[in-house]
Parts: sequence; structure tokens; C-alpha cells
Amino acid sequence: MRTSLNNIKTIDDYLLGNMAPGDALLFEANMLLNSDLPDDMKHQQNTYAIIRQYSSQKIKAEIVAVQKILATAPQHRGFMHRIADIFKKH
Amino acid sequence: MNNNKLSTVKQREAFFMALYKKAFPIVARYVARMGGSLEEAQDIFQDMLVIYYEKVASAQAEIIVNEKAYLLGIAKKLWVRRYKAGLKNQPLNDFDIEVIPDEQLANGKILHYLETAGKKCMELLKAYYYDGLPVSNVATLFGYSGTHSATVAKYKCLEKVRETVKQNSLNYADFIE
Repeated sequence: MRTSLNNIKTIDDYLLGNMAPGDALLFEANMLLNSDLPDDMKHQQNTYAIIRQYSSQKIKAEIVAVQKILATAPQHRGFMHRIADIFKKH
Repeated sequence: MNNNKLSTVKQREAFFMALYKKAFPIVARYVARMGGSLEEAQDIFQDMLVIYYEKVASAQAEIIVNEKAYLLGIAKKLWVRRYKAGLKNQPLNDFDIEVIPDEQLANGKILHYLETAGKKCMELLKAYYYDGLPVSNVATLFGYSGTHSATVAKYKCLEKVRETVKQNSLNYADFIE
């Protein structure tokens, strides 16, 4: 892999706890010497947050699609009636 | 949970469908007892499933002995947080995410951009980091010749998205100065 990708991998290993303790210490020392590294780490952390936000939206859309199938498919009509009945009783 | 069983949309559909059948009635009964509507029960259930999915997909997935009780526990917490507190429209909370506050506002914009311009990369990164799929599985799903190519593709995508995040944060810094 080219150097920039190796740097990404190193930060990835460090942030996700996949680095051996000795290597992690070395990485932390490097952070004091390399002025770009803290910024790169900050951006990478924010990247993970964006990946998670993107992913949870996708999963939620899949769940909503399942709910739509339940609400419309004839084979689930009995189940949905039983659910609707729960709210009629209250 | 073996994540291999949740690799595709079809597999996840079956997984969510089974959970609806298994746990939606008890969650609905709870929400109804608390004075909520069917729509509110559905909202709670959707968010509960997202949280549960994240739990089973994560590397630290624990063994859940009583799935129904566990799911009801999440639903109760969501109900209390979102409805009792009068915060009905509060989105799913991402307590675990460490986001740099100044950049939070910009995230929506980046996300919108990445959903269109970088969809393939985002899907690949989702498979790795969110769905927790093993690299061999990701290679097959995304058509890579082997695990090495898939791993390199992951870091290339991470680099691409990070660069977008970086550029956006620089623009944002210019904007607020």
C-alpha cells in the first residue's frame, strides 16, 4: 500500500484499539512530533461518525420497508389486526 | 449472532421481519398501556431495531439470553426518553459517537454529498465498520478478487471520505472566522 494509505491504516488501528500496546505508545509519541497527525486523527474520527450516521439511516430505511410489507401484504393482515386491536382496548 | 447471516438486504429483511413478529406485540402493548398510539409504537420499534442491529453487528456483541425482554428494555428506554420527556421528534441519539462539535453542523451537508458522489465507498465502509462483516465476506459482496484488494479498497475509501470531511471542515472554519 502507498504511504498515505498506510498512515490511514495506522490511525484506524490506533482509534479502533487494534494496535499492540508498544505500537500505540510509539504512535502517541509520534503525535507529539508530527504536527499533522492530531488533525488527521480528528478528521478520521469524524469520518467514522459520518459512516455511522450514513449506515444507521440506511438500516432504518430497510426497517421502514419491512414495516411497509407488514402493513400491506395480505399474509400479514391477521398479525396487523391483532396489533391494531391492542390500541382499541386502551 | 453470525454477521454472515446479515450480509445482504434480503437476509436483514428476514431478520427484521422475524423480530417484528416476535417482539412488536409486546412493545405495542407497552406503548398502548402508556397512552401512546400505533404510530408512536412503530416509531419506537424502528429505533429499537436500529439499536439492536448495531448491538448484534458490533465486535463486542454479547450473548443475549432473553431477546424479547432485552428488546422491551430498549423500547422502554426510548419511550421514556422521547415521549415522557416531551421530546417526540428527537432523533436517535448517537451517544457513542465522538463528533467534533464545530463540525456537527457540517455533517448533514457532507452526508448528502457522499450519498450521491461516494455511494459505493460509503456502502463498502458501512459493510466494514457498521455491519461488522468479515473482510472475506466484503470481498465477495463487492466483487473484489481477494481479501487484500478489499482491504486496500477500504483504506482508499476511508481516505476519500476523510479528505471530504477535511475539506468541509476547512470551508466551515473559513465560514465561521
